[in-house]
Amino acid sequence: MLLILPILIPVIGGIFVFRQKNEQIRNRMVLCIAGVTAALAVLLCLLPEQTVELMTIQGALRLSLQNDGLAKFFMALVALIWLPVAVFSFPYLKHAGGERKFLSIYTMTQGILMGLAMARNFITMYMFFEMMSMLTMPLVLHNGTPAARRAGFQYLGYSVFGAGMALAGFFVLAYYEALPDFVAGGILNPILASQHRELLLAVWFLMVVGFGAKAGMMPMQSWLPAAHPVAPAPASAVLSGVITKGGVLAIIRVTYYMFGPKFLAGSWAQKALICLALCTVFVGSMLALREQQFKKRLAYSTVSQVSYVLFGLLLLTADGVKGALLQMVFHALAKDTLFLAAGAIILSTNFSRVDQLRGIGRRMPVTTWCFTLAALSLIGIPPMSGFVSKWYLASAALESSISWVGAAGVAVLILSALLTAGYLLPIVADGFFPGADFIAEIKEVGRGMTVPMLIFAVLAMALGIFPGLLLRPVEALCGLIF
Amino acid sequence: MRPFVENFPFFCIFLAIVGGILSAALRRGRIAWGLTLGICAADFFLSAAVLAYTFINQLSFTYTMGRFQAPFGNAIQAGPWQALMAMVFSSVMGLSLLGGARDLFRDVEPSRQPMYFTMADMVLASLLSLTYTTDVFTGYVFIEISTIAACALVMAKDTGTNLIATLRYLFMSLLGSSMFLLGLVILNSVTGHLLMSPLAESVARLAETGKYEIPLTVALGLMTAGLGVKSAMFPFHMWLPDAHGGATAASSAILSGLVLKGYIALLIVLMVRVFSLELLMEIGITNILLAAGLMGMVMGSLAAMREHHIKRMLAYSSVAQIGYIFMGLGLGTTAGLAASCFHILVHACCKPLLFLCAGRLSAVSAHHHSLKNLRGSAYRDVVAGVGFTVGALSMIGIPLFGGFVSKLYFATASLHTGRMAAVLLVIALSTLLNALYYVPAVLSIWGIAPEELKAEVREHTADEERAVDRLFIAAAAALIIGVVVLGILYHPVMDVLNLGLSLLK
Amino acid sequence: MHHILALPILFPILAGAVMLILRPAGRRHRNLFLMASVLLTTAFSLTGILLSYRLGGDALTCVLVSFSTWLSISLKIDGLSMVYGTIVAVLWPLITVYSILYMEHEGQENRFFGFWLISFGVVNGIAFSQDFLSMYFFYELMTLSTLPLVMHAMDEKAQYAGRKYLVYSISGASFAFIGIVFLLNYSSSLDFTYGGILDAAKTVGAENTLLVVFICAFFGFGVKAAIFPFHGWLPDASVAPTPVSALLHAVAVVKAGAFAVARLIYYGFGADFLRGTYAQTVVMTATIVTIIYGSARALRTPHLKRRLAFSTVSNLSYILFSLTLMTPGGLAGGLTHMVYHAVIKITLFACAGAIIVKAGREYVYELEGMGSRMPVVFGAFTVSSLALIGLPPLGGFAGKWMIAEAAVDTGESLAYLGIAALILSTLLTTLYLMTVIVRGYFPVGQLDMEALETIHDPGRMMTVPLALLTALGVVLALCSNTIIHFLQMVSLGIV
Repeated sequence: MLLILPILIPVIGGIFVFRQKNEQIRNRMVLCIAGVTAALAVLLCLLPEQTVELMTIQGALRLSLQNDGLAKFFMALVALIWLPVAVFSFPYLKHAGGERKFLSIYTMTQGILMGLAMARNFITMYMFFEMMSMLTMPLVLHNGTPAARRAGFQYLGYSVFGAGMALAGFFVLAYYEALPDFVAGGILNPILASQHRELLLAVWFLMVVGFGAKAGMMPMQSWLPAAHPVAPAPASAVLSGVITKGGVLAIIRVTYYMFGPKFLAGSWAQKALICLALCTVFVGSMLALREQQFKKRLAYSTVSQVSYVLFGLLLLTADGVKGALLQMVFHALAKDTLFLAAGAIILSTNFSRVDQLRGIGRRMPVTTWCFTLAALSLIGIPPMSGFVSKWYLASAALESSISWVGAAGVAVLILSALLTAGYLLPIVADGFFPGADFIAEIKEVGRGMTVPMLIFAVLAMALGIFPGLLLRPVEALCGLIF
Repeated sequence: MRPFVENFPFFCIFLAIVGGILSAALRRGRIAWGLTLGICAADFFLSAAVLAYTFINQLSFTYTMGRFQAPFGNAIQAGPWQALMAMVFSSVMGLSLLGGARDLFRDVEPSRQPMYFTMADMVLASLLSLTYTTDVFTGYVFIEISTIAACALVMAKDTGTNLIATLRYLFMSLLGSSMFLLGLVILNSVTGHLLMSPLAESVARLAETGKYEIPLTVALGLMTAGLGVKSAMFPFHMWLPDAHGGATAASSAILSGLVLKGYIALLIVLMVRVFSLELLMEIGITNILLAAGLMGMVMGSLAAMREHHIKRMLAYSSVAQIGYIFMGLGLGTTAGLAASCFHILVHACCKPLLFLCAGRLSAVSAHHHSLKNLRGSAYRDVVAGVGFTVGALSMIGIPLFGGFVSKLYFATASLHTGRMAAVLLVIALSTLLNALYYVPAVLSIWGIAPEELKAEVREHTADEERAVDRLFIAAAAALIIGVVVLGILYHPVMDVLNLGLSLLK
Repeated sequence: MHHILALPILFPILAGAVMLILRPAGRRHRNLFLMASVLLTTAFSLTGILLSYRLGGDALTCVLVSFSTWLSISLKIDGLSMVYGTIVAVLWPLITVYSILYMEHEGQENRFFGFWLISFGVVNGIAFSQDFLSMYFFYELMTLSTLPLVMHAMDEKAQYAGRKYLVYSISGASFAFIGIVFLLNYSSSLDFTYGGILDAAKTVGAENTLLVVFICAFFGFGVKAAIFPFHGWLPDASVAPTPVSALLHAVAVVKAGAFAVARLIYYGFGADFLRGTYAQTVVMTATIVTIIYGSARALRTPHLKRRLAFSTVSNLSYILFSLTLMTPGGLAGGLTHMVYHAVIKITLFACAGAIIVKAGREYVYELEGMGSRMPVVFGAFTVSSLALIGLPPLGGFAGKWMIAEAAVDTGESLAYLGIAALILSTLLTTLYLMTVIVRGYFPVGQLDMEALETIHDPGRMMTVPLALLTALGVVLALCSNTIIHFLQMVSLGIV
C-alpha cells in the first residue's frame, strides 16, 4: 500500500494545485507535496523490497509495483531534483505566466515518475512511460506560441512512436519470458531464447532504439533541440535532467531486467548500439559547438551527455553500469544547474544567444559561478563529480571484451570532453573576462532562483569529492544484476 | 373413360373465347367486365383442379379436340406445369382487371369498353392456348391473336402517344411473328410435321445424322429469335416502355405481367419438348439467349435509372426482369429452366402489383407521373404505397419476397455450368442497379412533399379519385399475398415446377 | 418459452412502425414511448442472452419463418451472439437518452425515432441469427432501415451521402450473397457451426473457386466494415445526425460488418479451410492497408466528425486484421477490440455531437480554448482518447494486446507487418486525437473571448449519458481480465 502513495499524492495533489487560485497558498502546496513525496521516496528507499498488485489486464499481464534497488535509485534522484526546481520555478513563472497549469502538471509528473521507477513489469512501465510523455507535453507547450505547439507535438510523436516500437518488441518478447515481472539478471526462458537468438536480438535493438528516443539517442533525438528553446527553464531542467533519464531507466529495465547481460553480451546488436551511442556523443557535442542559441546548445549537450550513460549501459559489464548510473546522477545535477542558470540569465537580461553573454559574470556573479562549476563537472574536471563518472566509464570501456570498444570509447570520451569544454568554457570566459571596456552593474536574480542553483552546484562538487556516498548503493545494485 | 377433370383445360380456353364473343355483343362495359372477371375466376378454379389432379397423380395427359387423332386434329397437353401457368395467368388477369377498374372506366370510352374486355378475353385465351398447345401452327395462330388483342389493350387509352406506341409495338411484333413463321415453315419443310411429338422425333433424328444441319439451325434460330423479339428480349425491347408506359394501369399490368409471358411459355415448351436442351446448347442458341438476358438485365436497369416517369421506369424494369428469365433459359439446364419459370410466376405477381399501385398513386396525385411530383403520395393511399414497397423490395431481392427466391435459384442453377462467374456477377450488379431506382422511388412516395405540391395536388385531384377504391385494395392485397407466399412457401411451388418440366416431354 | 428470442427483434420493429404510423405529436409522449420501447427491448435481449448462457444456446432456438426443411429465418444465441448482442443492448439506451435532447435541435423526430427503433430490432436480428440466410436477411433490412436515418436532414449533402451508402451497401450485400449461395451448395446446412460448415466431401476439386468466393464475400461484408477500398461511404455518412454516427456508424452497422466477417470465417468457411491460403494473404493485406490508410486520412481531416469516421475505418480493420489471423486467438482479439472500441468510439462521437450542438463548431481548428468552457464534454473526450490511443489500463490497450499476441502466435511475417501497422496507427491516433485535446486545453493565439463566453456544457440529458459512457469504458477496462476470459471461451467455441 505504501508504494502507491508517492504516486497518488502528487497526482491528486496536482489537481488541488490547479484549483488553488491564491498564489502563496498554491506555492506552499506545491512545496508541501513535493516535500512529502520526497520523504516518502526516502522512506521507501530505506524499507525492504515490497510489491503491490494494482490490477490484472489479462492472464499474466498485470499492473504491479515494486521498490527494488533500481527503483529506489531513481526515486531518490527524482526526489532530489524536484524540490529545488520547484522553488526556482515560482519566481520564474511569475514572470512567464500560466503558473496554475504549469505547477499542477509539474506536481503530477513527479508522481508518474515515481510510478515509472517502481514499475514491476514491462506493461506497468509502459503505462507510466506513456503517461509521462502525455503529461510532460504541456510543459513543453507552456508558452503558447505556435513554435511551442509544434515542438510539443514533435516531442509527443517521437516519444509515443519510440514507446510503440518498444511495445511491438514486447509483443514478440512475451512469448519467450519465463517470468512475467522484472528480475535482475533477466527473465528469458533460456531454451526458447537460444533457439531464436537472432529474432530476440533484433527485438532488443528495436526496444532500445525506441526507448532511446526519450533518452535523446540517435536516430530519434531531434525532439530535444526543438523542445528546449521553447520550453520554460524549469521545464527544460526536468526534461533534460530527469525525463530523459526515464528513457534510460526503461533501457536498463529492458536490458538488465528482461534480457539479461549474459544473453546479449558480444552480439551484433550490442555492437551496433554502442556505435549509435558513441555517434550520438560525438555528434551531439559537435552540434552544440556550432549552435549559437543558448538553450539549444545546452539541449545538444544533453543529447551528447545522456548517451554517455547509454554507452556505459551498453558495455554490459558491472563497471559499465556503475559508471552509467553515476553519470546519470551527476549529469542531472550539472545539467539542471546549467539550465537554471540559463533560465535566470534569460529572465534577467532577455539575451538568448551565446554571443550576447559577454560580461555576464560581472552582472550576475552567483549565477555565473554556479554555471562554471556545473560546466567543469560536465567537462569532467576533478574535483567535480563529472570526472568520477567519466573515469569509471573510461575504465569500463577499456576493460570491455569487445576489441575496438576500449579504444573507440576512450577516444570519443576524450574528444567529447574537449568539445564540451569548447562549447561551455567560452561562455564562462567571456562572462568573467569581457574586456576592459565593459561596464556592468550587478543585477543578480533573487534568492528563490539562486539557492536551488547553488544547491545543485555544491552537490555536484561534494559528490565529486566524496563519491563513496553514492558508490556503495550503486555497487550493491550492480551486484544484484550480475 | 377419361376423368372429367381432363376436360377442364379445354373448357378454360373455350370459356375465354366464348366470353370474348359475348362481350363484343354487350352494350355496357360494366357487364362485360363482370363477365370477364367471372371467366377469369372460373378458369382459375378449373386450372387449380387440373393442377391438383396432375400433381397428385404425377402425370400429364394429352387431350384431342374433336376426336380427330393427330396429325390432323388438334390436341392439347396438360400437366402440372401447364396447369400452374394457367392458374397464375387467369388469376393475375382477373386481379389486374379488378384493381385497375376505376382507371379503366375513366380512360376507355364507354362505347369501346365491351370491346376492351373482348380483347382481354382473347389475350387470356391465347395465353392458355400457348401454354397447352401441342401443335406449333396452332401456337402461331394464337401468337397472332394475342398480338392484335394486346395492341388493342394498349390503344384503348386514346392518346396520340399511345397510337404511336401501338404502331411501334405492332411493327416489332409482326417482325417477330414473321421470323417465327419463317422458322416454322423451314422446320416443317425439313421435318414434315407440325405436331410437337413427331416434330421432336424428327429433329432428334436430324440432329443425330447431321442432315439438313443449316436449315435446322436457321429454323431453330428464327423461331427462338422471333419469340424473343415478341417478349422484349434485349435488344428488341425498345417498344416496351412506350407501349406500357402510356397505357391504362390494367393494360400495363396485363401486358407486362402476362402477355410477354405467354410467348416465353411457348418458347419453353418448344425448348423442352421439340428442340431439346442439348441440341440448343450444341448449336449455341442458349449462349445467345444467355448473352441477351445478361445484357437485358443490365441495360434495362440502367435505362430505368434514368427515367422519371414512374410507369416508364416500371416498363424498363420489366425489360430487366425479362432479362433474368432469358438468362435462366440461356443456362441450358433444367435447373435454369425451373428458375426461369419460377421467376415468371414471381414477375407475374409483382409487376401487375407495381403497375396497379403506380396507377393508384398517380390517380391520387392529380395524375402526375414523375417521381418528384409523386412525393408523399403513399400517405394519400396507404395500400398503394405498401403494395408498391412490397413490389419494389421483391424486385431488389430482399429475402421473404419472391424476387429473392428467384435470385437464389438462378445463382444455384449457374453453379455447375461454365457461366457461373458471369451470371453471379451480373446478378450482383443487377441487384445493385435495381436498388438504385426502386429505393429512391419508395423513398419518394413515402417522403414529405413540399407545401406547394401538396396544395396543388389537393386542388387538382377529383373527389372520386381520392375516394377509397375497394376493388383496388382487394386486388393489391391478393397480389401482395402472392408475392409473399412465393417468397416464403416457395418450396411446394418449385416441386410442382420441377415435376411439371420433367413431364413436359 | 423459446419464443422469447423473437421479442428483441419483433417488438422494437412493431414499436417503430407504430411510431411511424401514429406519429405522436407531444414530445413527452413520444419520448416516454421511445425510452420505454428501447428499455424493454434491452431487457428482452439481455434476458435472452442470460437464458442462453445458463441453459445453452440450443435450448432457445426460435424459427420465425420456415421456407423449407433446411432453409428458414431462425434465431439462436451462441457465444458470438452474446458478445455482439450485449454490446448493442447496453449502448442503445444510453445513446437514445442522448439523442432525445440532440434531435430537438434537428427536428422530424417521429420519422427518426421510428426508424431508430426498427433498426434496433433489425440489429438484434443480425446478432441472434442462427444461420447465414437469416443473417443476410437482416443485413439487407439494416441497410434499408438505416438509410432514412442517414438521410435525415434531406439536404443535398444528406441525399448524396444516403445514395453513396445505399450503393456501397447493396453492392456489398450482393457479393456476400454470392458467398452464401456457394455455402448453401457446398454444405449440408447453413446453420452457424463453430469450425465451419463446408462439407469436405463436396468441396473436393472446388477449393480454388471457394477461395475466390470467400474473398468476394469477405469484401462484400467488409463494405459495411469499411475496408479499403470500400470505405468511402463512412466518412460521407458523418453528415447524419450525431446519434446516427455514434451508434450506427461506430457501433451497430460497422460492427455488424465485422460480426458478419467473423461468422463468415469462423462459422462458415472455417478457419482451418482458409488458413495458409492465398485468400488469407489477400484479405489480411487489405486489412493492414486499411489500418494505416484510415489513421493517415484521419490525421489530415480537419472536420471533427469525419476525422472520427476515418478513425473508425482504421479501428475496424484492427478487428478485421485479427479475424483474418484465422486462429481462436485471432477471434478473441477481434472480439476484445470490438467491445472496447464500441464504447470508446460512441463516447467520442457523442462528445463531437455535443460540441456541434452547443457551439456550432465542426472543425478541429475552431476548438481553441474550448476545454475550459465545456469541461464534461472535453473531459470525456480526453479519457476516451487516451483509451483509444491505447494507454494501459484503459480499454484500447487490451484489444491491441490480444490482437498482437494472436499475431505473434501465428508466426507469419505478414502478421508481424500487421503489428507494425498497429504501432504506426497508434502514433497517428495519438497525433490526431491529442491535437483536439491540446487545442482545447492549451490554446494558442488570440481567442475570441466573447464567442467563448456563450459556450457551455449541454444539458443533463446529454452530459449524463456521456459521463456514464466514459465511466462504462473505464469500468470495462478495469474488468478486462474477466471480460477477455469470457471472450476467449467464446473464441474456442466453448460458450
